[in-house]
Amino acid sequence: MAAPDTDRAPAGTSDEGRTPSVVCSHVSITYRVYGVGREENDAEGSVRRLLSRSTRGVGVREVHAVRDVSFVAYRGESIGIVGRNGSGKSTLLRTIAGLVPPTSGSLWLGGKASLLGVNAVLMPQLTGRENIWIGAQALGLTPAQVRARFDDIVDFAEIGDFLDLPMASYSSGMGARLRFAISTAVTPDILVVDEALSTGDAHFRARAQERITQIREAAGTVFIVSHSDKTIKSMCTRALWIDEGRLLADGAPGPVNGLYARKYGRHRQVWRQRFEEAARIEEVEGPEAAARYLRRWERRTAP
Amino acid sequence: MTDLGPDPTRLPEALTEQEAEAFAARHGLEQVGVRPTLGSYLRDLWRYRHLAWSMARGEFVSQHRDNYLGLLWAVLNPIMLGVAYYLIFGVLLDLKRDVDNFIAFLTIGLFTFVFFSAALTSGAKALLGKVSVMRSLAFPRVLLPLVVVLSGFVSNIPAFLVLLLIALATGEPVTWSWLLFPVALLVVAAMGLGMAMLVARVVHAARDLANVVPLVVRLLRYVSGVFFSIEARVAAIDDAPVWLGPLLEFQPGAVALTIVRQTLMSGLPLDGTTWAVACGWAAFFLLTGFLVFWRAEGTYGRT
Repeated sequence: MAAPDTDRAPAGTSDEGRTPSVVCSHVSITYRVYGVGREENDAEGSVRRLLSRSTRGVGVREVHAVRDVSFVAYRGESIGIVGRNGSGKSTLLRTIAGLVPPTSGSLWLGGKASLLGVNAVLMPQLTGRENIWIGAQALGLTPAQVRARFDDIVDFAEIGDFLDLPMASYSSGMGARLRFAISTAVTPDILVVDEALSTGDAHFRARAQERITQIREAAGTVFIVSHSDKTIKSMCTRALWIDEGRLLADGAPGPVNGLYARKYGRHRQVWRQRFEEAARIEEVEGPEAAARYLRRWERRTAP
Repeated sequence: MTDLGPDPTRLPEALTEQEAEAFAARHGLEQVGVRPTLGSYLRDLWRYRHLAWSMARGEFVSQHRDNYLGLLWAVLNPIMLGVAYYLIFGVLLDLKRDVDNFIAFLTIGLFTFVFFSAALTSGAKALLGKVSVMRSLAFPRVLLPLVVVLSGFVSNIPAFLVLLLIALATGEPVTWSWLLFPVALLVVAAMGLGMAMLVARVVHAARDLANVVPLVVRLLRYVSGVFFSIEARVAAIDDAPVWLGPLLEFQPGAVALTIVRQTLMSGLPLDGTTWAVACGWAAFFLLTGFLVFWRAEGTYGRT
């Protein structure tokens, strides 16, 4: 993948001998929140506000979680998704995993997707054993196949005596391990990992990383949401930056992380000033001078 | 030049919708979030039959795990309700004079109706109550209403066995028609499943209708002759219109109870017309329920 700041053909117009696994075309996802009423308007008159109070709990509010996101992912890629909390990453991932249909736009998948997330609660009242059966069969395994892999799943999850206790009694790490073990019981074509690795200990993270590498080498595609620069840089070959539901950058992890840091990182104020300065220079001396000005910091963010 | 600043203004380039579609088709990707063809939906359903069974078991377990007596409540509850109904409607309102074996008449009607109405009320919640499951696992969504009805049927089996004991204890002779008892229950289950699929779709489309379902169930309880003989009561009205009797007797709720009673009670011989109507209703609801549910597959999970 080219760095995001070079002009490139839209991903996928040339096949380059690679096989796409996800084609996401102008996907928008809107969801409704019920019983919250209309947005409050402080400018309303007090009488009107009093009247509207009685119906405040009635009605629906629409949340535009993902707006017009397009990209193409290929087999063998591992794609990191960066963005702030609430920027629509998890919603997008659930759609990529084929679980929540997009509100508009289209999505094509090449193969079976498997979602692994902190929110992907199986059934908390049920035991680990029951959840393994349900989760593995939902991935398309037959009872015989589940039986054959059951011990592997339990071994990987390391839940020991908790196997026959309800999942509600599990620690968050145990739950994460079990979910990971179930979701990767079948080598999925598309594995979607939504912050699920952050709950585990170092040992689990190391094993999870090995498993993810295996899936990638088996020509699968892996999506990883993480708030850690290091995770994205060490595990991903490509990164997407989602901000307020829009895809702002798509490219190599280094530069994308750099762009993200310009807006939200430790030096965000410095960067804002630099770009304001660049805009001023562009106005006075033209775009050449502005480019020269900005090139001073280029190496530091885009190695 | 500032388009890569803290607020990038230039978004990554994307394929147009037509290009994306052609590209996905060229690589044989499958579109998600769209309705499958009826044939492939049925094939999927068959492929996931083991999952349906595991999920029904899970549903069953999670409903009965939280108390000491567990499954016993599935028997105790209708029995206690039966005693109350017997005292109020049988003795106080003297409805037992219409029927020879009122105890069997009442309990068969009540237990069957409890199962039948549970199919409706749980069908209403089958999708909206399972959003978290839908957001973590991919499977044909028609499994959700199927699972609640299946689990309801299984948890009512002890109650159905108690019905046999009550029939024996109240002096009903054991005849060949008893063999039809499970068949009648299956016809009722099929009717309930059809209605559950129908209600699940309707409530998913307009969730406020979930508030109407308990009302409908209650009305159905009163017009289906759970605790009185429709025939005898309509006959007791002096100027009843001719259509009133057949309307009440052949509506789905009433025939469901009647066919079950006919298999166990010597006072109500098997009647071809009632059975034909019952099977007709079952086929009608099963077929329309499934088709109606399938029509919106690909939208479930979007709230």
